[in-house]
Amino acid sequence: MSRTRSHKAERVIERMRQKVTRQMMLSLEACVHCGLCTDQCHYVLANPGDITYAPAHKADQLRQLFKAHLDWTGRALPWWVGARSVYSDAELEELKDTVFGKCTNCRRCSLACPMGVDMATFNRMARGLLVHVGIMPEGVAVVAKDQWEIGNQMGVLPEEYLETLAWMEEELQSEYHDPSVRIPVDKPDCDVVYAINPREVKYDPRTIAEAAAIFHFAGEKWTMASVGWDQTNFGLFNGDDELGGAVARRVYDAVAALRGKKLVISECGHGYRSTRCEGPNWGRVDVPFEMESAVITMLRYIREGRIQVDQSKNPGPVTYHDSCNIARSCGLIEEPRELLNLVCADFREMHPNRAENYCCTGGGGAMSMSEYTSRRLKSAKIKAEQLKATGAKAVVTSCHNCVDGLFDLIRHYKLDMQVKQLVSLVASALVVPEKPARAVKPLAGYKILVIDDEPDVRVYLRMIFKDQGAEVIEAPDANQGIRAIKSENPDLVTLDLILPKMTGEKLYWEIKKDERFARLPIVVVSGCIGVDAPRIDFHRFIAEKHLPEPEAILEKPINPEKVLETVRTVLENRKDRH
Amino acid sequence: MSPELKFAEDTLQIAALTFMAVVYALKVRWILKFPAARDRQARTGRGHTGPLKGATYSLAAIAMPWTVLSTRQQPFFWVQFAIFHIAVAASIGLSFVIPYAAHLLENQMLVFGLQALFAAAFLVGVRRLVRRIVNPYMRAISSPDDYFSLALLVVWFASSVLAAPPSHEQREWPLLGYFWLTAFFLVYVPFSKISHYLYYPFARWYLGRTLGHRGVYPVERGA
Repeated sequence: MSRTRSHKAERVIERMRQKVTRQMMLSLEACVHCGLCTDQCHYVLANPGDITYAPAHKADQLRQLFKAHLDWTGRALPWWVGARSVYSDAELEELKDTVFGKCTNCRRCSLACPMGVDMATFNRMARGLLVHVGIMPEGVAVVAKDQWEIGNQMGVLPEEYLETLAWMEEELQSEYHDPSVRIPVDKPDCDVVYAINPREVKYDPRTIAEAAAIFHFAGEKWTMASVGWDQTNFGLFNGDDELGGAVARRVYDAVAALRGKKLVISECGHGYRSTRCEGPNWGRVDVPFEMESAVITMLRYIREGRIQVDQSKNPGPVTYHDSCNIARSCGLIEEPRELLNLVCADFREMHPNRAENYCCTGGGGAMSMSEYTSRRLKSAKIKAEQLKATGAKAVVTSCHNCVDGLFDLIRHYKLDMQVKQLVSLVASALVVPEKPARAVKPLAGYKILVIDDEPDVRVYLRMIFKDQGAEVIEAPDANQGIRAIKSENPDLVTLDLILPKMTGEKLYWEIKKDERFARLPIVVVSGCIGVDAPRIDFHRFIAEKHLPEPEAILEKPINPEKVLETVRTVLENRKDRH
Repeated sequence: MSPELKFAEDTLQIAALTFMAVVYALKVRWILKFPAARDRQARTGRGHTGPLKGATYSLAAIAMPWTVLSTRQQPFFWVQFAIFHIAVAASIGLSFVIPYAAHLLENQMLVFGLQALFAAAFLVGVRRLVRRIVNPYMRAISSPDDYFSLALLVVWFASSVLAAPPSHEQREWPLLGYFWLTAFFLVYVPFSKISHYLYYPFARWYLGRTLGHRGVYPVERGA
């Protein structure tokens, strides 16, 4: 008598039929159950004797299903070849416990398999089958929902994101005493569009500022996008190719809308793999621009002499943990080491390393599955021993999941060690170029146009700039301003946003859309950037119009030192570029 | 030579091989029904490798135990693997040599060498069978087919030891046993785990192609 199958079990089987590719079926059939993968898994090593953690056993969960429904012998003689179907929701729950709670998809077993069986791919597919019928850990469901609905996996709202960027920009300007250090948003036609992990916004915004400082001192023409900025992708973890494709396309579309030349992906293991490697496959899209990890970008800046670093600024012993997704699945292996050797005085390897390194135990979405925390920490014993053996005081990694996973295990196993990312080490090793000595009249030779409807302000600014040697032209409204630009060809414009007849925003648009003046530096000096009319509105205006950001935005009342510093820096930068 | 042996070493083998070929042809047709996934990503890695190099390396890894983490850590296991699979190839070869080129087996050293190889493979097979039964991890992943396939090969190797000396008149029973086992082996293979030899090159090729494209294969090991 045949057993009745639940609706979910039926759908899982149907989904499997649709999802098995030729590569996967060959891999499923190639396993000879030799058991050589067994002691390559950190779960097995930390749980000796528990056969449910063995990679081949975990892979068999999908193989049994495949054999039962798609393989000849499995359909004719299922018991003979170990074929087994699923019938009840309880069996699916058991499968969930295995594929989500006993494997981080780190792929170490796949690389250790003499037959080339890609067990991690099976595990991801099994997750996807369960997600298809709504069976998954709650944390996974919440994160996936956020990524579908809000556009990023941590549910960061647009205001929160933009405010964090503005906050970090202010911090940077204050730290480097340089108002020209910017975190541009939605600046079109940039050489680099920088995408980040929402964890950076929520918990670690300093890494955004560090990256911004590196871009700034490298003289990079870069921007961040106001939408499609989340390079992470929970589709990798929950096995949902549709989610993976949608999230990846969101990032690609943002870069394309800004006409960016290259997408630089901040240090995130699964984000890099998803966006750089798997996204085009999931999204079925041929990405027309380049994509690279921020690790490669930073290394390139140093190699090209665009930034200078001093390794003595990071004197402590550090070791490097290879993120599984970056090393084992994307081949980003030597570049982080090269970078570490340039920015740290004492870099030491852990063993094993590179593509053979052990998982941090926080991968595969494990950090979002709190029900498996005790298993995760127990399995982290292997990693803890690896870390301890190095004698390093900091472990460096290029992945946010690894940061969290390593941080947890360091605390659990009471290791005297910090977790750092490469961007932080590069930023702290940066040799900030000294500003050129100020001339007696540093603005000599420059022509500055002041557009402001308030006579007092015009007089004040004229006085400030003239004192520094600049030639100053004034315009009380937008129309006179545009005429002055055309006739006087100024080197820089200071622009008020509230003007009679035509607003400063509109004038800004007129200037930037005219090819002759699109590159004319504009410093916005306005009183309407305060609480009542948040600065974000101007950003929105230029974002909507696809306009580049102005060179600087200054608030009234005017701080003469800040105005001078800003104008001087903008003009110096412009001179450097010419 | 008895008519039974004549049938077993010739007609029976041809029939078994024909059956195997037909089943394999159907299997290839079945494999091709699964859509091949397309890799759209741009190449990653440092440019020192690529899909072809990765695939070639992956295929060659079977003969380079130092390149695969597990076999590097367990070289004796790889030696067992090598003996076992060379013996399989030799025993299949023997099933052609005995009926069609028996004079090759007049060389006593060659016969002795083959017998030693089959005996060693027999011992490896026994060891692996014991491992599969005793080791709880192995038991957990083993199906009846896993045990039976291994046991079948162990018996086949034993029969190969006895079949190697070319003495049809005096030793017909060992030869009859060997040829009937060989025929059964050929018929059974396409339905069992032994057919991994058909799948694994493709599995390795595909994995190697992907990991070569991504700069992971060939695996670079540091200090």
